[in-house]
Amino acid sequence: MPTTGVLDEQQVLLSTLPPSRGQTRLALAIVLVLLAAFCATVPFATVPLPYVREFIPAYATAMFVINSITSALLFVQFSLVRSRALLAISGGYLFSTLMTIPWALTFPDLFEQTEIASTTWGLLSTLWHLGFALFVIAYTLLKDNESPTQWLRRSLPFAVLSSAAGVVIVDALVWLVTTTNASMPTTFALFERSYTYWNGLLLLAFLALALLWARRRSVLDLWLMVVMCGLLIELCLIFLVGRRYVVGWYASRVFFLISSTLVLAILLSETAFLYARLARSVLAESREREARLMTMDVLSASIAHEMNQPLASIVTNVDAAARWMGRPAPDLDEVRASLAQIRNSAYRARDLIGSVRAMVKRDGRNRTPLDLNELVREVLALTERELQRSRISVELRLHEQLQPVKADRIQLQQVLINLITNAIEAMRETKQPRVLMVRSALQEPNRVLISVADSGPGIDPGIVDRIFNPLFTTKSNGMGMGLAICRSIIEGHEGRLWASPGAQGGAAFEFALPADVA
Amino acid sequence: MQHRAIISIIDDDESMRCALKSLVTSLGFKAYTFASAEQYLDSSYLDDTSCLITDLQMPGLNGIELQQSLLAQGRHIPIIFVTAFPEERMRARAIEAGALGFLGKPFDSSTLVELLDKALEIGRKS
Repeated sequence: MPTTGVLDEQQVLLSTLPPSRGQTRLALAIVLVLLAAFCATVPFATVPLPYVREFIPAYATAMFVINSITSALLFVQFSLVRSRALLAISGGYLFSTLMTIPWALTFPDLFEQTEIASTTWGLLSTLWHLGFALFVIAYTLLKDNESPTQWLRRSLPFAVLSSAAGVVIVDALVWLVTTTNASMPTTFALFERSYTYWNGLLLLAFLALALLWARRRSVLDLWLMVVMCGLLIELCLIFLVGRRYVVGWYASRVFFLISSTLVLAILLSETAFLYARLARSVLAESREREARLMTMDVLSASIAHEMNQPLASIVTNVDAAARWMGRPAPDLDEVRASLAQIRNSAYRARDLIGSVRAMVKRDGRNRTPLDLNELVREVLALTERELQRSRISVELRLHEQLQPVKADRIQLQQVLINLITNAIEAMRETKQPRVLMVRSALQEPNRVLISVADSGPGIDPGIVDRIFNPLFTTKSNGMGMGLAICRSIIEGHEGRLWASPGAQGGAAFEFALPADVA
Repeated sequence: MQHRAIISIIDDDESMRCALKSLVTSLGFKAYTFASAEQYLDSSYLDDTSCLITDLQMPGLNGIELQQSLLAQGRHIPIIFVTAFPEERMRARAIEAGALGFLGKPFDSSTLVELLDKALEIGRKS
């Protein structure tokens, strides 16, 4: 079971999440389908189709909705990652959204218009494509040399500012074009039919696509490329046909609409998926915290319980000593015995506090890259005498290429000593052969596993879920805190400690820690 | 008293056993200690115990289970519970089952003395 670590920024944001292979394939498939459709349309491009007056308005409405939603999505991304690149691309989509309105309204055959209006429409089309391509280029260029700048801290004013700027620009352009003298529109009309114009536009769009391809990194980049492909196809078709109400003309719009819709759908689903992942991670973290608090509660109860033992012993010994001394013939030997007991109890209390401290201390300051194999050998050397005395043979199976783990040496040593001591205790009554098996292994992905198994009687299934509880002990002198402390230490290192039936019939205690990926 | 009353002490904690033994002996009683309820039940002092002082939480049979075991055997030995974790529920159960006293560790020895006297009273009456 993987531990839910804190999600890293790269995995949570559309603008930084690298696309999965499936997504890349999907994007490629869509582009290929569009290209195929384009090629299929080319032979019939100039075939006239019935005049559908509502086509452009319907198309404009659809594009308005799609662009505004995409723009909103991207502004949300911007609010999370204050980068100029994201501001550029969200601005670009906002610009697109706003341009749709005058563009649709100036469509020549919608109202009864003069030649000027026709050019207006053409000009607005150009500006729309031009503007969008420029915004995409700006996004691509600003994308990678990023550090969130101070002045972008409050994103809302900028969203408002860019909307206002967009509206102003668009309106200014419309006004300019409609109030300028006649020569300008004609010049433009001529220009629009020239190869330079189309080459220029196509080149720009192609440039945008090429830059995106060169600097592609995230899901967003991938799908922007699909949009640009759609745009390129639209431009090519319009260029090829040069007339309205033919197959090519309708098709170009439809292709771009489809690519934009698909991209939006995918961005939305990706956002939903990331949201789900984020929600799950947050919930898991909060549940873990709950469990930890509960453990703390139980732990503090067990600390109280454990502290009361030596304290009661001290008090009772004091009372006893007082009575021994109060006798007509004071029994000083008894008094001395009581005093000795009092001192032992006090030391016990001190040790208890020490181990509690060790358990509760979660600071990672003393963490260094550790070779666990080395630590295992060290601990086995420390416990050698005890192992020999109990006539326990040790079987070592250590993985040679074990990755280092960033951990507190003393704490992990404590854990290992505890587990090995428990194993020795467990095998006390077992007949020969008594085997202690210590194993180290690599676990996917990037985790190091240590296993300590004994050939003892194993863990009673009735108590297996309680053995890590702070209050639980099967030892007469036990404080019941050992395994609880071990678990707390391991979990403090983002690892997991668990018990399971061992291969030799005894018990196996295993812990896994994340490898140090320095 | 002609013969010293026998007090049996059960606790898994060794220092507590010794402390209680010392206290009880200083009061003039004879004390026997046991590390577990099972050890006590297996011993030969069951008939002679005038009062039993026992811990609640022990590995193996706990205090309450010991109490029930003795009652099942028809023995009504006065029991004083001494525990490091006095929970209200446990206290109620113990008293209901006829325990003489329920003390939390650390406890004042004079309270224990009172309870011991009461135990012996009961012993004398029966």
